[in-house]
Amino acid sequence: MVKTKKWVALLATLTLVGALFVGCSNSNKSAEGGSTKAPTGSETNANKSTDKPVDGGTLTFSSFSDIVSINPIYIDNTASADAAKFVMANLYDLDRKGNLAAEPWSLAAELPKVSADGKTYEIKLKKEAKWSDGQPVTADDVIFTIDTFRNPKAGSPGIGQFDKVDKLEKIDDQTVKITLKQVFAPFQYSLFNQLIPYHVLKDVKPEDLKNNAYGKDPAKTVTNGTWKWTEWKQKQYLTFEKDPNYWGQQPHIDKVVYKIYADQNTEVQALIKGDVDMVQAIPVTQVEAVKKKQGLTVLLAPGPQYEYVAFNFKPENFPDKFVPFTGVKTRQAIATALNREGMINNILKGTGTKLNAPFLPNTWADPGSAVTEYKYDPEAAKKLLAEDGWVAGSDGILAKDGHRFSFELQYNAGNSRRQQVATVIQQNLKEVGIEVKPKAIDFSSWADNNLTPGKFPAVLLSWSLNNPDPDGEQTFSSKYFPPNGQNMGWYKNEKLDKLWVDGYSTVDQAQRKKIYEEVGKEISTDLPYVFLYQYGQPQGLGSRVKFAEADAPEASLPYGAFFHIQNWWVTQ
Amino acid sequence: MTEYFIRRVLQSLLVLVLISIVTFGLIHAAPGGPTQIFLAPGLSQEAAKIQAHNLGLDRPVYEQYFSWVGGLLKGDLGYTFKNHVPVGQILWPTVQNTVILMSVAWLLSLLIAIPWGIYNSTKEYGLSDQTASFVAYIGFAMPTFWFGILLQELFALELDWLPLSDMWTMGQEGNLGNLFMHMILPVSVLTLGFLASYSKYSRASMLEVLEQDYIRTARAKGVKENKVIFRHALRNALIPVITVLGLDLPILVSGAALTESVFNWPGMGRLFIEMANAREYSVLMAIALITAVVVIVGNLIADILYAVVDPRVQLGKGGKSA
Repeated sequence: MVKTKKWVALLATLTLVGALFVGCSNSNKSAEGGSTKAPTGSETNANKSTDKPVDGGTLTFSSFSDIVSINPIYIDNTASADAAKFVMANLYDLDRKGNLAAEPWSLAAELPKVSADGKTYEIKLKKEAKWSDGQPVTADDVIFTIDTFRNPKAGSPGIGQFDKVDKLEKIDDQTVKITLKQVFAPFQYSLFNQLIPYHVLKDVKPEDLKNNAYGKDPAKTVTNGTWKWTEWKQKQYLTFEKDPNYWGQQPHIDKVVYKIYADQNTEVQALIKGDVDMVQAIPVTQVEAVKKKQGLTVLLAPGPQYEYVAFNFKPENFPDKFVPFTGVKTRQAIATALNREGMINNILKGTGTKLNAPFLPNTWADPGSAVTEYKYDPEAAKKLLAEDGWVAGSDGILAKDGHRFSFELQYNAGNSRRQQVATVIQQNLKEVGIEVKPKAIDFSSWADNNLTPGKFPAVLLSWSLNNPDPDGEQTFSSKYFPPNGQNMGWYKNEKLDKLWVDGYSTVDQAQRKKIYEEVGKEISTDLPYVFLYQYGQPQGLGSRVKFAEADAPEASLPYGAFFHIQNWWVTQ
Repeated sequence: MTEYFIRRVLQSLLVLVLISIVTFGLIHAAPGGPTQIFLAPGLSQEAAKIQAHNLGLDRPVYEQYFSWVGGLLKGDLGYTFKNHVPVGQILWPTVQNTVILMSVAWLLSLLIAIPWGIYNSTKEYGLSDQTASFVAYIGFAMPTFWFGILLQELFALELDWLPLSDMWTMGQEGNLGNLFMHMILPVSVLTLGFLASYSKYSRASMLEVLEQDYIRTARAKGVKENKVIFRHALRNALIPVITVLGLDLPILVSGAALTESVFNWPGMGRLFIEMANAREYSVLMAIALITAVVVIVGNLIADILYAVVDPRVQLGKGGKSA
């Protein structure tokens, strides 16, 4: 729902920190019609139930980080987004396949009506939807929210979601018409968002909104979701309780506790002891211990994020201004030389799926077999390198025109998974005559000095995708070179530049799918990145948590851990 | 004494100012700033500038320093960048929690270590002395977080006698019995750590004193052994111990980040690490300052205690303590 600095996303997901900051929304995955992967049946057997739901009880889930603010305008990390999910209703929600949906707990009454030219969206709100102070949720709230998002003075990290909006019109109290400047298919996911109350915040200046108590002080945060926010004990816990005045159907669970742990090991032990019912990120090293424990379930389905090695194509970033990655065969050779299955099995312990293009496997835009597949084959890699003019030097390292094939691979310090993967990459490439020097850098200075300005030889990083759209223009198009875009490797491919534009310039999904198939073919052959794998954080569930089959968590969706939580219940 | 005291306080203030300047400079010189953590990619350069301006991050460092000092003099520690929460609101509860945990562990370890060390010095290499050495080795060698995990596994998970983590059970805040149960494990871990060094210090220091001529004289003239130990030897033996205690005092506030993390204790050590990662300058400065104050006060107290236990030390008269 929010677009964030993706690196932050990466960092966090990936580091010990476990705090998944969510990635930027514009390049995204798995949308309408996608067959996303449900956790396999056996995994959640202990929690799936056909019994009649029981009312009452407390659900406790743990998090590695505290919230920052649950004001939807400023949510840019998973911790805050998770908390907001309990107290703020979405305008639209997502169904299991990543399609926009008007659920019973969504504020919208029905799916948006998109005009024939694809430029206007008409949204109708539910008449009964109310804020926690009793005021109705109206068209004014929708317009006010979008206007605030797109006002630079408000400083919202989600500003880019609404930059295509041209006009907002109030048709009546429950109806809003949004007109876009151009056809932009991913816009539908900008409606997968929460609102702020116009009647409460209309007099706050946009530049003061961030510092306002709204979103930080439970007593001053008027909400419209299923539970209401009752307490925030900083760095310790938040509580959400059933609200007798809630406008929709009451949930089964009386109280939700969001508990913060500073140490992942302690968090897992708390799950084992029964102090918490749900852990969102179990370190892979502890998965076995949790599985062994009677009554605990571990969900291993990978989430909406993928890891990659990005090349830099700008000569200034290399000694003697020689870019070793210029030849497409060289890049393909690197992809061929990497043992990705090995990484998935040994480092991720199975919580990963190989991928060759920036589309999550099994989503509607996944080009499937249309992409170029790279099988681990060091001999084939050596051949490709030779064809591209690389010759082994006296030290066994390849060289071309007097330049040794040696480069630095950067990743963020403290991320033990990346550290291990970097070591495997180093070994794999050494076998084919390429010298890799892994280098760990503190995340904040890495972002500042290397990622944002696009100054590095190669990086090991990942993107988190916080909405299911396949559009990846901001990540791969030459329109988005640093420092104002995320194409930090200075990759330029005119064919792709155009395809990305075509991809979002129609709202016809069948046509979009065809375009993204083209993109998949081209990008997996040309390789601005070596795409490694989709991966996730194993999630743990205690046996008290129950849900029907249709309401099970959906790891592949953004915020899918709490999918349909309104229908869950807890036993004693 | 008064003159000495005033001089020390003035010196301390100067030291504090220097510490604050150096810390402020270092924190701001570290690569990566708070804006990097929360400026979004979609944010235009112009919007980014507005943000930096609102936070005052576009001003020269010395200007930021003076405005920070200005706030401090008015008792204002500033706000967090990320969500504009007053620093005091985050900080003071954690300071309190850390002091509760650490002071109990510290006092407990003193109560055990000093008498034990003294006893062991009188029965060198006896069973008790050997045991103390063994405990000290373990205390020094075992990483505290690991020991903490072991205790958790045993007492919280296997036996299920004690809570796993946190300071209170939710909803029981203020119930001292509940706090006590939650403190047992972390206090054990911390006490073992302190115990290791304090028992060694007090034993070694006592042994040294016991070999002094005046002790031999006392024994020779037939003074009872108990009296030799407690009347004659102890006071002198405690001087080096007090030095160590004075130097350790800051730990009471700065906390033990690892132990706090393992037991999910909402203390300042944990907060510091988190805030350092987030580049929350105001919180970091406040923590640095508090720690500095305690270091200075700790030293001052140690000096004053010298005078109490050792009549030869006369503060402010060119004594060895100045």
